[in-house]
Amino acid sequence: MRVLVVEDEVRLADNIAAALREGAGFAVDCANNGEDGAILADYHHYDLILLDLMLPKLDGLGVVHHLRRRSCTTPILVLTAVGEVNRKIDLINAGADDYLTKPFDLGELIARCKALIRRSRGSAQPMLTAGTLTLNTVEQIVRQNGTPIDLSPTEYRILEYLMFRPRAIVSKRELLEHLYDFTWEHHSNVVEVHVSNLRKKLNEQGSGTSPVETIRGRGYRLLQPEHTP
Amino acid sequence: MRERSLTRQLITTVLATQLLCAIALSGAALLHERRERFRTFDVMLRGRADSLLGAVQDAEDPGDNVMVDQTELALPPEDAYAVIDVSGRILGRSPLWDGSFRVPPANGYTNQRAHGEHYRVLRTDGVRVIDREEHGGIRRPVVLVYATPTKQLWHSIFEAVRFYVFSSLLLLALTGIALAWLLRRGLSPLRDLAQEAGKVSAQSWHFQPSPDVLRTKELKPLAASITQLLRGLKESFAQQRRFTSDAAHELKTALAVIKSSLQLLTMRRRTNEEYGVGLDRLRADTARMEELVSRMLVLGRADERQDGSFAHSDLGHSLKRAAAQLEPLANMRQVEIAISAPVGVSVALSEEDGETLCSNLLANAVQHSQAQSRVTAAVRLAMGNVELTVTDQGEGIPEHALSHVFERFYRADSSRARETGGAGLGLSICKAIVGNSKGTIHINSGQDRGTEVSVIFPSQNGA
Repeated sequence: MRVLVVEDEVRLADNIAAALREGAGFAVDCANNGEDGAILADYHHYDLILLDLMLPKLDGLGVVHHLRRRSCTTPILVLTAVGEVNRKIDLINAGADDYLTKPFDLGELIARCKALIRRSRGSAQPMLTAGTLTLNTVEQIVRQNGTPIDLSPTEYRILEYLMFRPRAIVSKRELLEHLYDFTWEHHSNVVEVHVSNLRKKLNEQGSGTSPVETIRGRGYRLLQPEHTP
Repeated sequence: MRERSLTRQLITTVLATQLLCAIALSGAALLHERRERFRTFDVMLRGRADSLLGAVQDAEDPGDNVMVDQTELALPPEDAYAVIDVSGRILGRSPLWDGSFRVPPANGYTNQRAHGEHYRVLRTDGVRVIDREEHGGIRRPVVLVYATPTKQLWHSIFEAVRFYVFSSLLLLALTGIALAWLLRRGLSPLRDLAQEAGKVSAQSWHFQPSPDVLRTKELKPLAASITQLLRGLKESFAQQRRFTSDAAHELKTALAVIKSSLQLLTMRRRTNEEYGVGLDRLRADTARMEELVSRMLVLGRADERQDGSFAHSDLGHSLKRAAAQLEPLANMRQVEIAISAPVGVSVALSEEDGETLCSNLLANAVQHSQAQSRVTAAVRLAMGNVELTVTDQGEGIPEHALSHVFERFYRADSSRARETGGAGLGLSICKAIVGNSKGTIHINSGQDRGTEVSVIFPSQNGA
């Protein structure tokens, strides 16, 4: 998952980015003013946008208006130091999905981020299931037939992304865009290697075919088993 | 203290004036009526005396005397009269005429008291010629004294005057009522104004005087000054609120940085180096928060100190000390600070404020200067005033930001790149300090032209 943090206080942005990378395994980009934030968000690479309210150039409310006017559906979590109820109501009415008041707890921030991403993908609970596979987004544990599978962070992120979109074909490009931030070199080989490893690990545990299917030239798909009689 | 009512005062004044008029009018009426009625009365008196003279007839006696024939006389019974001949003998008299009447010494009208009553008395001479055919007439001069009681006259005078008095009193009462009603009506815009002003509070600043008030010449300036006063108050309230909100935002953000740094550090087990780096960052974050708080306190103190305390300090000295303090920063940024300041130029600032002012201005200049450039600061006497100028050769302040630079927490560099430091309070602090000593501060700047800040203090030399 890839998150955009729009925050003018550089130290805070750094801390949030570090926490999201370490604690949730997200790819994180930062913008330190509203205008840059809006431009980055327009790429639609992001699965979540964290937005400070008081921003130079374009304030948080302006960014929300901008994004929602362009029918961007990415969930937006607003970070605010202002406790005024009216401001919060305005924000949520403008299209923000949630808010956190500064100074916030990083653990709570991560939990809310995960919940917002989950809900935006149509899943209300932290447990994702596909056939014999289960994935706990909170503990970041994957099980196949009840047996835990040891995955690298990137493998986990790829599987999580695929499990949020069962049966859909996810291109390599999409995976790259949503799993890596701008600090990484974009090489599609990287994805191929990780997917190949992931398939191998799932195969070892499973009985035969891997649930991750490669569709040549188009991308990957998580196989949803047919209804077993 | 007793409450003073304009309405009551006005009514009382008008009624008192009217009462005085009524008294004067009644007095004048009394005098006039008396004069007129007495004149008529006197004419009547003379008429009656003439009738009496007509009754003086030849007595047909050998002495050719005259007598008063009262049989034909129809004079009011309350009148008293006497006809006296030259020898003082009473020729005839009314039944009422007795010793209690005196014969006035000369002709004319006099007043007398007799029988417990006031009388108007006329004494007049008359001549009766008798035996005109026989001897060519014998002249018999007589003196007529005629008295009529004035009781009735006075009664009618008072009756007439009473009419005036009563109508005046009635008028007075009517005026009182009308005045009370009219004043009530006339002062209703004032009541409206008071009511409207009473609705104003810190929560609701709306003040809209009614059209009645605005049409009233006497109230319009009052309404205007209330409106202006409220506008000023509202503005300063809004400013205060904005400051509080901005301050809360800054503090909470600074706190959020520290809290998140701590939580990030304790998120999982880390190596000793990682802890070391994290703690260093925390120390820097805490120092920044400390700086923010101390600057807010400095600003708060500068705001409070508006009593114009009589402190004096040497501005050149303050400037030099500030420059010395900033030397390390200037060296780090490779900026040269050039100072030119005479000794003994005194301004109405405490030493601490003077130094804060100078160091804020110098620090700003150094922060916004490129490497290898120069910051010039000078103190000089100009037209009896003390002028402090700090000039840099930096990037300048964009025009749109220039009018906001004295606003609290305002930062011209939009990215709020905290490395250049500052919470956006430096110039606000300067302005508050300069304002306390009745000075002025101006910024002259343009993109890529550098910035010149000039502060002008009223002269303190000779103090």
